[in-house]
Amino acid sequence: MSTIIYGIITSVILALYAVGFSLTYGISGLANFAHGALYILAGYISWNLMNYLGLPFLASAPLAVVACALVGFIIYWGLLLRVRGIPLSELVVTFAAGVAILELLTWRGFYGISYSLPVFVEGGVEIWGVAVDAQRLLVIAVGVALVVLLYLFVHYTKIGLAFRGMAQNERTALSVGIESDWIGALSLALGSALAGLAAVVVLPLGMMESSVGYEVLIYALAVAIVGGLESTPGMVVASFVIGFGQRITASYIGPKWMIIVPLAAIVLVLAVRPSGLFGKFKELEERV
Amino acid sequence: MLQVRNLLVFFENALAINDVSLEVSQGELVAVLGSNSAGKTTLMNTVSGLLLDIQKKEQRRGGERITIMGRVEYEGREIIQQKPSLRVKQGIVLCQERHPVFRDSDVLENLRIAGYLYTRREVKEGIEKVFAIFPVLRRLRKRRAGLLSGGEQQMLAAGIALMARPRLLLMDEPLLGLSPLLQAELAASIKEICRQGITTLVTEQFARPIMPIIDRGYVMENGRLVFSGNREELMDNPEVKSAYLGV
Repeated sequence: MSTIIYGIITSVILALYAVGFSLTYGISGLANFAHGALYILAGYISWNLMNYLGLPFLASAPLAVVACALVGFIIYWGLLLRVRGIPLSELVVTFAAGVAILELLTWRGFYGISYSLPVFVEGGVEIWGVAVDAQRLLVIAVGVALVVLLYLFVHYTKIGLAFRGMAQNERTALSVGIESDWIGALSLALGSALAGLAAVVVLPLGMMESSVGYEVLIYALAVAIVGGLESTPGMVVASFVIGFGQRITASYIGPKWMIIVPLAAIVLVLAVRPSGLFGKFKELEERV
Repeated sequence: MLQVRNLLVFFENALAINDVSLEVSQGELVAVLGSNSAGKTTLMNTVSGLLLDIQKKEQRRGGERITIMGRVEYEGREIIQQKPSLRVKQGIVLCQERHPVFRDSDVLENLRIAGYLYTRREVKEGIEKVFAIFPVLRRLRKRRAGLLSGGEQQMLAAGIALMARPRLLLMDEPLLGLSPLLQAELAASIKEICRQGITTLVTEQFARPIMPIIDRGYVMENGRLVFSGNREELMDNPEVKSAYLGV
């Protein structure tokens, strides 16, 4: 029973790691390798706001999310704009930006066991005989709410619709007045904000240090690759496959083998079905 | 309304548009006829500004060098350096060739995406207008655009362009690849769009289906305009007859 419940929690956490990454990629074809760095940056910013400015976590967390969005926007406008359209350079730029952020945090002494964020909600409940703390339930709630909100956002708001237009056909989007660079920058800002949001709800579950950034990037990549880039249902399913894979590995083989699961999943999927479980092959009927 | 003066476009050293001057007045329906690779699409992309975007992207990745020279005036203002979104706001809207629609969205969402620049109410009105011109789309409004037939997609592409509220509509080979019956139907719709006060510049490879609806036309060959005249003059010209009417 505990495998199932904690499997669900792990899966939702993975989905939260990946959602921003997938979203940015889906809209502007941009693989943001600074995703993990932005994640941990949110933790760092909100820790500092709390400990140096004395803000409550409820105030510092949203500020950290906004800060992440800004950093994402700046990465796009300041760095990416020059190499936009060359995938390899985009990758190098975002990865470099990510490493720069992470190493900056390490240099500032952001490692070890001294940093953690407080939980939003105290206490816990028992579900079918398994003790679950309230913060983990909050993580699930945020994950579910996020999926619903994002769906509504991309289907019913102007910017969201522009995102969908850009994702599908950039030139047509251009010819109805949608500006590709503006939308690209917004998509990276939104993806970064989602990394920040994931950070402030997930990080309170444990310690934080700068190296977590690399881990989160690997998880986000694993989920995106297994699910098929650009596919939202794919992302959710992949989170559950890897999440449960990890839980089962931890229960029956040993916790130290958990990190193998996402890496093995990447290798396996790339070998067997490179476009991912739900990746888009151009359907025959669409080739009119 | 639109005046193109001595336009030259180079792709690297190849001349795609060679000293083209043309004019479209308010309310006219003008055609540019020409075979494949005559430069029709480049001309449309230049007027709509899309070429500037392509140029920028090529530059960024160190690709093809595109050079644009000459004058493009719209309502008396020089627009050759204006980016596409600014031109759309002024009413220059391009409907690209090969019906480029948003394939994963349904018809209604396609139109809503295209209403990006306008308020919710304007979008609603716009959709009604599009459905009035293309009643087929109303019936298919919940269908995914990628699953529509070629003709339906072309209508949707025209609808997408209309959602951007054009005053000068540029249609790049709208009849390409359609059956003669559909061509006639779509040509009638284009005429109707023009009748509603939208000035239209349309390119086409084959003159026959488009001939009945146009006011004037140009013939383009290897990047040059080689002939210009009203419908009767075009129909009487022996070269046009043999090359584009198949007589």
